[in-house]
Amino acid sequence: MNIRCFQRNFSAAFPPLVPLQLPSPMETHLWYILPDEVKNSALLNQYSELLSPCERESVSRMRGDQLKKRALLARALVRTTIARYQTNCQMNPRSLRFRKNLYGKPEVEWRNEDNFNPPPLHFNISHTSAMIACGVTVNVPIGIDIEEKQRRTKNNIIAFAQRYFSPYEVKVLTAISDPEVQRQEFIKLWTLKEAYVKALGKGFSAVPFKTFTIRFRDTTMRNFHPPESSVSEESDIVVESSEDPTDPANNWRCALLEVAGSHYGAICMEKDRIAGENAPPKLTVWKTVPFVEDVCVSGTDAVLVLGGIIEQ
Amino acid sequence: MASFTLFNPTPLSTSFKHTQVPLIGISNVKSGSFASLTMYRRSSQFCISCAAKAETVDKVCEIVRKQLALSDESSVSGDSKFSALGADSLDTVEIVMGLEEEFGISVEEESAQSISTVQDAADLIQKLKEDNNGAAYLE
Repeated sequence: MNIRCFQRNFSAAFPPLVPLQLPSPMETHLWYILPDEVKNSALLNQYSELLSPCERESVSRMRGDQLKKRALLARALVRTTIARYQTNCQMNPRSLRFRKNLYGKPEVEWRNEDNFNPPPLHFNISHTSAMIACGVTVNVPIGIDIEEKQRRTKNNIIAFAQRYFSPYEVKVLTAISDPEVQRQEFIKLWTLKEAYVKALGKGFSAVPFKTFTIRFRDTTMRNFHPPESSVSEESDIVVESSEDPTDPANNWRCALLEVAGSHYGAICMEKDRIAGENAPPKLTVWKTVPFVEDVCVSGTDAVLVLGGIIEQ
Repeated sequence: MASFTLFNPTPLSTSFKHTQVPLIGISNVKSGSFASLTMYRRSSQFCISCAAKAETVDKVCEIVRKQLALSDESSVSGDSKFSALGADSLDTVEIVMGLEEEFGISVEEESAQSISTVQDAADLIQKLKEDNNGAAYLE
């Protein structure tokens, strides 16, 4: 018997997670928690029971209650999210195991057992003090990054960009005269670059930020439009590798969102050659408090597509 | 940290030889004098490189505090992990940039990726400065 199957007496306190089909190829599922909405200490204790001893210890090493809570919610989100996707049977979020790939990217460690086909599920998480998000895809790797819209840098933006971004990106940012718009475009660019590197999963040293460029491109005219002027829903986001400028890194699709009115979120996923390059990627977004409430927010004001061709 | 000043009132020099220290002057040594002197010599070298590192560690702590807007009460020390203090990747990159400016060094992505504690940062700074200066420490 597959011991990972859901047992009725797993925990009387937990209602079962609402089961879900895996995302289809070229579809992204995005789940997010707003920590400020999770105040019930009994619920937090229940989340804590889902964690491995190692994860609980990591949580305890965070400095201060807010960071501890954030770390706890991040692990609870990952575990409950993955456990929702039924394949052979409902998974117990507590029994999931994780490991890091060669470069440190977290992944699920599926145990090899007879009659169990691990789902081809990929995930990536990101968090800020006000939101924790988990993106899920099938077949292809995914990277996500979220950042508060109001995030300010300590360093001067152009100095920072000159140090870390590609020359083209520096040019784009420098051309923006309004400092507030410049700051916003910087944050957007940062999240996109982060999401790309996280999607690649080879660590930051393998793909230094300077070695690739993120461009917003109007697909109808194939001309570059500076971000502040015409980022319409039709604009595509392209990643170009400076290692080989003649062959843009067309393997990767990026999308930029505004989430919950408060955050920029970038999603980067590898194109699925089998599913068809031209199939527009789909996105479904849920706001969740695991075991309490899941609200599908795609197509509402909570999720605005700022760039990249993606359907909700 | 060994308090070598207890044993040697004269300033340490690079050509320190244990024969310069009269055995009689070392009254607090418990174990065999030879072993203690060896330990003393090593620990004095240790102290010199430690002192430089302590100052570096303090500066790194200061930069980290500022970046993460930590209160003066929150303790930041060598073994503090950036992530445990609440630093995300943007914070870490900003911290590295702050360290580059403060110490006049340039940090490669490979090295930056391996920094997870204050001590890691201080050690890297130490190494980069040594490489820059081409100077050897005490023999």
